[in-house]
Amino acid sequence: MKLGDWLDERTGYRAIVRKLVEATVPGGARFAYAWGAALGFVLVLVAVTGVLMMTVYSPSATTAWASVSYLQQKVPGGWVVRGLHQFGAQAAIVLGVIHVGYAIVRGAYRKPREVTYWLSLALVGVIVVAALTGNPLRWDQRGFWGLRVETGIIGTVPVVGGVLQQLLLGGGTPGHMTLSRLYTLHTVVLPLLLGGIAAKHVWLSRKHGPALAKPADAVKSDRYFPTQAARDVIVALGALGVIVALTWMKHGAPLDAPADPTSDYPARPEWYFLALYEMRKPFPGKLELIATVVIPGLVAGYLFVLPLLDKKADRGVMKRLPLLVPVGLFGLAAGVLTFASMRTDAADAAFGKAVAKAEAQGAKSLVLAAEGVPPEGALAMLRNHPETRRVALFEQHCASCHRMGDLGPPQGKDTAPDLTGFGTKAWAKRVMEEPDHDTLFGKTPFKGEMPSMTKPPADPEAAAAFTAMKPEDLEAITDFLAAQAQGKKGEGMPGEKLVSQRCTSCHRLDGKTDDEDTLGPELRGWASVPWILAQIDDPGSGAAYPKGAMDPKLEGHMPAFKEKLSEKDRRLLAAFVQEQAGK
Amino acid sequence: MQNDLGVEPPRADRPDEPSRVDGGRRGALKVLCALGGAAYAGAIVVPAVKMLAPSSEGGAGAARWMRVCRLADLTEGEPRRVVVVGDERDAYTVTRDQLLGSIWLTKKGEGVTALSAVCPHLGCSIDLNADKKSFFCPCHTSRFSLAGAAEAGPSPRDMDPLTVRVVEGNVEVDFKLFRQGIAERKEVG
Ligand code: FES
Repeated sequence: MKLGDWLDERTGYRAIVRKLVEATVPGGARFAYAWGAALGFVLVLVAVTGVLMMTVYSPSATTAWASVSYLQQKVPGGWVVRGLHQFGAQAAIVLGVIHVGYAIVRGAYRKPREVTYWLSLALVGVIVVAALTGNPLRWDQRGFWGLRVETGIIGTVPVVGGVLQQLLLGGGTPGHMTLSRLYTLHTVVLPLLLGGIAAKHVWLSRKHGPALAKPADAVKSDRYFPTQAARDVIVALGALGVIVALTWMKHGAPLDAPADPTSDYPARPEWYFLALYEMRKPFPGKLELIATVVIPGLVAGYLFVLPLLDKKADRGVMKRLPLLVPVGLFGLAAGVLTFASMRTDAADAAFGKAVAKAEAQGAKSLVLAAEGVPPEGALAMLRNHPETRRVALFEQHCASCHRMGDLGPPQGKDTAPDLTGFGTKAWAKRVMEEPDHDTLFGKTPFKGEMPSMTKPPADPEAAAAFTAMKPEDLEAITDFLAAQAQGKKGEGMPGEKLVSQRCTSCHRLDGKTDDEDTLGPELRGWASVPWILAQIDDPGSGAAYPKGAMDPKLEGHMPAFKEKLSEKDRRLLAAFVQEQAGK
Repeated sequence: MQNDLGVEPPRADRPDEPSRVDGGRRGALKVLCALGGAAYAGAIVVPAVKMLAPSSEGGAGAARWMRVCRLADLTEGEPRRVVVVGDERDAYTVTRDQLLGSIWLTKKGEGVTALSAVCPHLGCSIDLNADKKSFFCPCHTSRFSLAGAAEAGPSPRDMDPLTVRVVEGNVEVDFKLFRQGIAERKEVG
């Protein structure tokens, strides 16, 4: 006996195959019917790539990001799988909406297909929830802040909100338990639900057949295979083409810097939620519930009751127009709001800057992660790495007064010298020319302490006695100072002698000064790492500025950081500032 | 075709035979279905295979020099067990200063030889016999000479030698692990 016969006797598979192959499409095959099939194809793609990612992904707050970055960067083809999964999911949302939209326009939800239609609504809903539970699994900034906002919205829902939020997060704040729960939802609960709904939906669709476009079509019919199947395959391949193209263009799916609850991340939802995000804006305070819960609830409710409202004899689109207009308005409003949201952000320079910063942070994280992530997790890796840590330290401890490159207080709010280019010849020259400029010492307690070497003082009597420093002397002194910033002693340089003659009435050189009561800082080693470190440790130590600089009368002067920061951090900062001298 | 309720009349019998026959196109459509289906499946299977296939790279081959002890700590001709401490890379996690394994060191004049303490049979930890004249594995009683040659028991090969160098009085070992249970000596990444 042939193997096929043997198997058929026991399973009856031939009858099933025949049934599939010989199935007919009443009314004839159409491309319009292919959207649902393409959705099925795409869901298979998403399911398989999802299982593949499960072979690498590790759901915990310390490993999730690291495992995804490993998948993206190290696992061969990992980024392709990520891309197919993410863009596949987004394509599924689009195909689902088209599929449902077509059913609504054609009136395919009418008796006897109400349940078929409801199942398709539920299908789209579950796909969206799956996307929402999938995004935070990366545990990057975007996913994390999205989760924060979404669970926050859930928390505001009256009565059940609090409990629901707790259930989702597995506690009060996002962490290990949150990831375990989202992972379980995303990989077990939702796929089972989706599969069940999809199976029942397909079964009912076959049972009732497609809603006929024209009554005359009732006498027509085509074989499902290959007439309709070919159309299904073509649309599915089109969707696949888009998914692959996006995957290629974006090199997989995005991965921001590791989730950091203390950061200020410019959080925006995924594109399919921008409309809801925008709609929330005009509703302040408690009224927010209207945008986050009431309106979406009403829209979903309307779509749900549509088959119960639409009972007129005629199924022509024109006759059902009053019922369809609200649906059209929902679609239009969603489009307009999405567009408005994108335009607001595109026009917002500050937002653009924040996004660029976040992207740079993300790129840096990936570079660091390629070397391996410590067991404390990716966030610790990022925080403890000198290059990121020193920026964070500067932002936290220095940037409220000092500016340095991109870092610093809001424009015009500087209250201490601008450190951009600190230690360069140009910087030294500027101080000698206009020490009291607003971006130098003009807003510090030292204002008026140092005279300009090139401009006469305001007082007419003093101005009469003023002679500007010769350009070649200025040149020699700034050469000497720039050498100090590079850590050279500069002994025997022409500027050294000039400094000892012309500057030490207020400044110190090797600790020597004409007047101990003056406040000019030490110029030997000025702007070198030890000098800056001494200044950070204690601005009144004498190693940089003399003791008098810490006089409480000099209100607003730089504080000492010796007790506030670890030595490692202080050294990191000193080296960071000194790097300006090389710019 | 519509009744009072605007509902199509029930189709009692689904037509078994299509009313339209595509004729010559039918074959072409079948081919299209097959090719299209194959292309779609390929888009899933190719990345899947690429991702799951064992990768050749995995750190094998590259030298990993680890400082294990001082030359002065060793006694001439007497094997001594030392632990190897180093950075452990487990996929994406790198943990500093982990116990990576142990090795047997024997000093011979100015040189040192090193043998992996992992039994080539099934990976138990090889110990020194009380008489200090041979090594043995407690799991399935493999016995090895002090030079590492398999003398008795199920071990498929000799103990695995490791490359050693002495730098400024410190013994450094190129630490490697090998596949177990086979006669060939194959490094695992
Ligand atoms: S493991 Fe050593 S003899 Fe079997």
